[in-house]
Amino acid sequence: MDSRDTILKKLKANKPEFIALPKINLDIFDENIDMVKEFIRKVEVAGGKVFEVTDNKEVLSKTQEAFPDTKVNFTNLDDSGFFNTIDYETLKNPHKLNDLDVLVLESTLGVAENGAVWLTDNDIPVRVIPFITKHLVLVLPKENIVPYMHQAYNALDPEVLDYGIFISGPSKTADIEQSLVIGAQGAMSMTVFLV
Amino acid sequence: MSHSKLAGIFNKDEKKVDWHDKALWFVRHKRDLSVHEVKGWEELRNLGHGIKAHTLSHLDVYLEQFEANALKNGVQVHWAANGDEHNQIVHGILKENHAKKVVKSKSMLTEECHLNPFLEANDIEVIDTDLGERIVQLAKEQPSHIVLPAIHKNKLEVDELFQEHLGTKPCNGDPQYLTGEARKHLREKFIHADAAITGVNFAIAENGGFVVCTNEGNADMGAHLAAVHIACMGVEKIIPKQEHLGVFLRLLARSATGQPITTYSSHFRKPRKDTKMHIVIVDNGRSEQLSRPDFRASLHCIRCGACMNTCPIYRRSGGHSYDATIPGPIGSILSPGKDLTKYSTLPFASTLCGSCSDVCPVKIDIHTQLYKWRQIIGKETPQPFIKKKSMAAMGKIFSKPSLYGKVGAVAHWALRTLPKSLINSWPNIWGKTRDLPVGHKQSFDQWYKERENNKKDDQK
Repeated sequence: MDSRDTILKKLKANKPEFIALPKINLDIFDENIDMVKEFIRKVEVAGGKVFEVTDNKEVLSKTQEAFPDTKVNFTNLDDSGFFNTIDYETLKNPHKLNDLDVLVLESTLGVAENGAVWLTDNDIPVRVIPFITKHLVLVLPKENIVPYMHQAYNALDPEVLDYGIFISGPSKTADIEQSLVIGAQGAMSMTVFLV
Repeated sequence: MSHSKLAGIFNKDEKKVDWHDKALWFVRHKRDLSVHEVKGWEELRNLGHGIKAHTLSHLDVYLEQFEANALKNGVQVHWAANGDEHNQIVHGILKENHAKKVVKSKSMLTEECHLNPFLEANDIEVIDTDLGERIVQLAKEQPSHIVLPAIHKNKLEVDELFQEHLGTKPCNGDPQYLTGEARKHLREKFIHADAAITGVNFAIAENGGFVVCTNEGNADMGAHLAAVHIACMGVEKIIPKQEHLGVFLRLLARSATGQPITTYSSHFRKPRKDTKMHIVIVDNGRSEQLSRPDFRASLHCIRCGACMNTCPIYRRSGGHSYDATIPGPIGSILSPGKDLTKYSTLPFASTLCGSCSDVCPVKIDIHTQLYKWRQIIGKETPQPFIKKKSMAAMGKIFSKPSLYGKVGAVAHWALRTLPKSLINSWPNIWGKTRDLPVGHKQSFDQWYKERENNKKDDQK
């Protein structure tokens, strides 16, 4: 018998009597929070920045203001030819993206309780770029903010996902004497534009 | 070596122990502030407990469901009965893909299986990419904490290590500079890696996906650049549905560091184009632990480390004193199930104060299980002569009030009269670093009787 069958047989023999799966009652957690306000607060706690803007044009002009002297920029926002310094072809070799300065992506879901922003393969041309970029900028429609993680998962079809990620703030570590340092292995800053 | 002996080594540097104690208590405090912000936190813990208990009672079924879905997603699934088999499977995958350079993000399971030395012996370079893990790897040590692997090292030690191995300049332990240099060093490793190994925080039965949580982004940097991604998980990492992540991701980071969520919560389900994804499912003693009704709830653990941060013993004895992959209170209830003799002192490394159980996000009755392991260990493993004899003697004294009174009077007399050198001599382990209380002339019993008599006299 191979290990698979041995393990499954042992688990079956050793498990306790069936215990029912508890139901999740979301009313218990509801506090009727101001979602936009809470979202902004939590992104800032996580070390990120939030700006409220009117449209994507303002996103890119504000991004250029914030990061004026960057060499390599990429976004998949519409009408962004003036902003992009690289094309999709370059992205196909992610190993060459180590010098990417600014990346602007659109998200469809944010979570108020922890400032997390959701990205999937649909939003990211190449999986590694939100990590390999120096500065990460995300655009999120205000009405797509949900209060808690429960509502976030209710909005996500488990059968559709190939790869997805919640990002809350820039990459960070406190592994040297518990001193917080922003910019560990991933992005060194994270900015969210609420539209 | 026993826990107390190893703790003695850690305790030689008193300043470091004080820092360690305070640093971890601060993390516990951040956890408190964070969870008190969550309405329904206790209910969330109940749900975490309930979902895990349900899953364990249906574990074989969920694992099969997970496997079937992962295969449908184009992921290869492997099963390992023990650590050796796990290492051979991982090595086999690497060999098949001609992978010589491997980056690894944090995985306590691969530590438990001693994967690194195995791969290194087979001529494969393995780089731990979590900063704390990289520090202990360079120092040729084990992590001393599951979330804060290098908490036992101070910044000057890290400075020296980096000078030696990464060629950094002396910086008086500047964390910003050292982290920046580690980032450069690890970027090189990520870009040239042939394969990436990650752990698994949660594996979802209903869709065959799995979630990995990091703050640094190292799991993603590795997995998205290498051509092969191997994810290693214990059988107990399964949860039934994606919606259950809503419960566990709310619990995990708040309990671990006080963050409302880790910076990155990555949901892997299908490999990217032209790359391979493997999952290795490992038993290594977990099915045994599942067979023990008193101890099976230890398999609920989601590895947040909250029980370590709060434990008065762990904070003062350091993670290495447990001599196990998982230290602290949770490690002390997991390890005896693997080797009762080797780990027989761990369940005694506790005051049974219950703080671990109070902070556990999935409500494992850790201190109760510590107590229960003590009962088993007392019966099944040889105990020190003095402990055995003194326990038997104390048992007799406590069962007879008159004898207790007499012995108590003698003991108090001895404490008042005899020199400290004699009272704290070698059979009295307590006296090694502590003094016994002052001996009183009157026992509580005598004092109480006298008081009652005085009352009666007053009434007359």
